[in-house]
Amino acid sequence: MSGSQGETVFAVEAVRFAYAGQPLCLDGVSFDVRRGERLALVGANGSGKSTLLHLLNGLFFPGEGRIAYLGSPLTEAVLDAAPFGPRFRQEVGFLFQNSDAQLFCPTVEDELAFGPLQMGWTQAEVFRRIEDTLALLEISRLRGRFPAGLSAGEKKRVALASLLVLAPSVLLLDEPTAGLDPRSQSLLLEILEALHTRGLTLVTATHDLTLLPHLADRVLVLSEEHRLVADGEPEPVLADTEMLLAVNLIHAHSHRHGRLVHTHPHQHVVAHEHVHGHHHEHEDQAEPKK
Amino acid sequence: MATLPEWLRPGARPVSLLPQRATAHRLLRRTLGAMGRSISLLVREPDGPGVGALRTADPRAKLLAAVGLIVATTFLRGLLPLAACLALALALSAAAKVPGRRLLPVMIAVPLASTALLLPATLNIVSGGPPLLVLWRSAGGAFGPWRLPEVVAVTADGLLVAGRMVLRTTACAALALLLAATTRPQRLLGGLRSLGVPQAFVMVLAMAERYLAVLLRSAQELHLARLARSVAPIGVRREEAWAAAGVGAVFRRTRSLADAVTLAMVSRGFTGEVRLLRPACWRRTDWLLVAAAAAVAAGLLILDRRLA
Repeated sequence: MSGSQGETVFAVEAVRFAYAGQPLCLDGVSFDVRRGERLALVGANGSGKSTLLHLLNGLFFPGEGRIAYLGSPLTEAVLDAAPFGPRFRQEVGFLFQNSDAQLFCPTVEDELAFGPLQMGWTQAEVFRRIEDTLALLEISRLRGRFPAGLSAGEKKRVALASLLVLAPSVLLLDEPTAGLDPRSQSLLLEILEALHTRGLTLVTATHDLTLLPHLADRVLVLSEEHRLVADGEPEPVLADTEMLLAVNLIHAHSHRHGRLVHTHPHQHVVAHEHVHGHHHEHEDQAEPKK
Repeated sequence: MATLPEWLRPGARPVSLLPQRATAHRLLRRTLGAMGRSISLLVREPDGPGVGALRTADPRAKLLAAVGLIVATTFLRGLLPLAACLALALALSAAAKVPGRRLLPVMIAVPLASTALLLPATLNIVSGGPPLLVLWRSAGGAFGPWRLPEVVAVTADGLLVAGRMVLRTTACAALALLLAATTRPQRLLGGLRSLGVPQAFVMVLAMAERYLAVLLRSAQELHLARLARSVAPIGVRREEAWAAAGVGAVFRRTRSLADAVTLAMVSRGFTGEVRLLRPACWRRTDWLLVAAAAAVAAGLLILDRRLA
């Protein structure tokens, strides 16, 4: 991994972005990503998390504001020019939410070879990297398979392998565990944990708060108005129930025990464990009972 | 807690159903299913190593040979040279161990479809010549500005035209299938690119090949979602209307998938040129293959001219 621990990898300054003919989907967002950090972007659906990842990957460009990678502004012209463009593409990997879009080659082997071949690496080096990456993610048996025929978990691992084969120093992950069964999810989290301990910078977009303890040392919260409303360690962010309710990351949950209606803010911070701020109410009395 | 509307509460009276015209029409489901099977066969068939020399030949040589033979076939007029060309394609398919499950559907569907299209050409109202089989006689007369024929009959010339076209399309399809069945799509596209076919065209073909199965699955899901909410068969016309709307929905998904794929490619360093992991290597046997195909094409054309 290139670069020193703690240096600023991405600097995002007052970024505003809107898709053509659409309302703003990012409004004045500013933050830094430092080398080796595990950062989670959380927010409700449509808050702009995925768009922000696309901007960090130089796939879209802000209408206003500025994004820099290692001090160089990310613009179309800069990314089209060698050596910065290819170096950026090699160093920053993007795991898309839709694996079907990410896996576009006829076999898993071709999928892993795509990036290295674009970088102009020698055939021997490409084969060596493919062998090692398939072994690392324990998917050697899938080498000759057609990606569209794989399970969701296998597709996600192949997609991750297609990024790791380039030895990136930053991974941008868009809802990495969405649609995965518990075993595939836990396997993926283990892999990401191992990658982080090897020094990779991870930026993950998710609306699943159960993932935060596994995926992040720092959390950025995007509101439904597409603004950054919190930036901090997971524990205090998750403890701020009022803010989480306001950004639609937790919800007021009601259920009934006989004639007793039971209402409380509801969030999952660890899989299968609930945090309840209790508020009991009798249907006939309509009187709060704590 | 939100209050359930009356019609969603337990014991609510169900709304009476409109009378439905029961029909056993399942054309759309069958069509989608058949397309799915054909496409999965098309995209999943690998070129098995060491099975026949044709499979190991350079894709450029195979492309040149196949295109040369197909072009020659389109110039053939005699039934014998056309039949010889078809026999050659089938013999090569057998030698290359092309599975029967790939060959048979094409060898049945292509002649049947061509025959259906060419049936009018067998009649005296399209092709001249002495009648062989009279189908219908009338007193003549006119229908508006058109004069009705006194006899509608199958003619010898019509049969010759139809037979020639059926043989020609079947032979061309067999040759194209031989090429597709012995070459992985990616290598075939690489071959096209190195023969000078524009990169944008090859990329479009590559994406179509890769995402045909994904989009078909999307169409099947749409269809199943609709079936899950259907209480009775809806009849051919409404089924057709739904299919047209479904095409629109799949088209929108296609566009969004195409955008996502492009971004995924750019994200991994794509700058406009696809590079292959195992680039094709032209050997002496590939020259032999091209030369043999050229000789066969020339031989068939000469035979055709002599028999004419």
